[in-house]
Amino acid sequence: MNELINENNLLKKVATAYNIKGNVIRDRRVEVFANKELVSSILLYAKLQLGYVHLAHITCIDWIEEGDFELVYTIWSPVERIHLFVKTRINRVNPEMENIDGIWDQANTYEREMREMFGIQFPGLIGEHEFILEDWDQIPPMLKEFDTHKYASETFFTRPGREDAQDVRETLSKRSGTDVPDFAKKYSRET
Amino acid sequence: MENDKNSQKIVDYIQNFARKHSIFVLAYGTGCGAIEIPATMTSRYDAERFGIRGAATPRQADVLLITGYLSTKTLKRVIRVYEQMQEPKYVMGFGSCTINGGMYYDSYNTINGLDQYLPVDVYINGCMPRPEAVISGFVKLQELIQQGKAENGKKYRENLEHYRTNQKKIIKNWRMPDYNW
Repeated sequence: MNELINENNLLKKVATAYNIKGNVIRDRRVEVFANKELVSSILLYAKLQLGYVHLAHITCIDWIEEGDFELVYTIWSPVERIHLFVKTRINRVNPEMENIDGIWDQANTYEREMREMFGIQFPGLIGEHEFILEDWDQIPPMLKEFDTHKYASETFFTRPGREDAQDVRETLSKRSGTDVPDFAKKYSRET
Repeated sequence: MENDKNSQKIVDYIQNFARKHSIFVLAYGTGCGAIEIPATMTSRYDAERFGIRGAATPRQADVLLITGYLSTKTLKRVIRVYEQMQEPKYVMGFGSCTINGGMYYDSYNTINGLDQYLPVDVYINGCMPRPEAVISGFVKLQELIQQGKAENGKKYRENLEHYRTNQKKIIKNWRMPDYNW
């Protein structure tokens, strides 16, 4: 059984340096929770002092019930071989986050994508506003309040289904003269 | 294309015969279905025995294959490619995404139903269609060509306004060249 010595050491270092909380999720996975002001400092500290030189990903999660966006910065050390997740919450109203493409150049791409898909602003971010979407005039599409089904049915042409479409299980049971099994009745179309 | 004896003129017959045996497919892959094309073209299924082979540029191609889901961003390029092709030109919808949206039926960024934007000759269903299905679709297209029924380039020209309306509904910033076919 792995004793998780490296993981606990890493968590202790980061947590005591910044007085923040965190967990060891499992072997090679450590998460810390920080304020949004602290994030760039933690990332710089982990990169320069602890050897976490690789930015693997930046994720955004929309917590619409709690009124927050959660940003997860995943960084990795090729020496210790541990993923460190730096998690932070920002307000959903006028979301704004610090631009970290001075620390890692590739963060620019992730930030442009989040600006387009979630509407998060990164002051000082250089790059075209139009990144993946073209001619988009709605609210950012990855937001939970964006009703993608409604948008698709209004914008695109839906093809009507076949009139003679049959339920497979009922057709088979009629053909063989047996009953539909109990567990399958809740999926029946003939109700 | 039919004379008073209810059959094709001999010239048309020969012309269609030649056309159906040299189908040049534009090497333009959209979506995930393009991965089936190498399997169709190479030695196991060997589509070239039907006269089906790749063409590098739209102006030399006969068939535009829409392989799988078509995002609104790609649709703009596809329309431009299709309008550059010389007649006779054919479109094949490949996979359930081109038919009714498939698993992307509620996506904000992929179209449902290709035939609203381009005239489609043959649809191949399946997700993904195997190379046998692709070849069967091509054989169906060859039948249509032989009968002189595959005239969708003409249909597109005649109903251009209808197609333009649908296309402009999605491509709001319309900066495309006009052709005088």
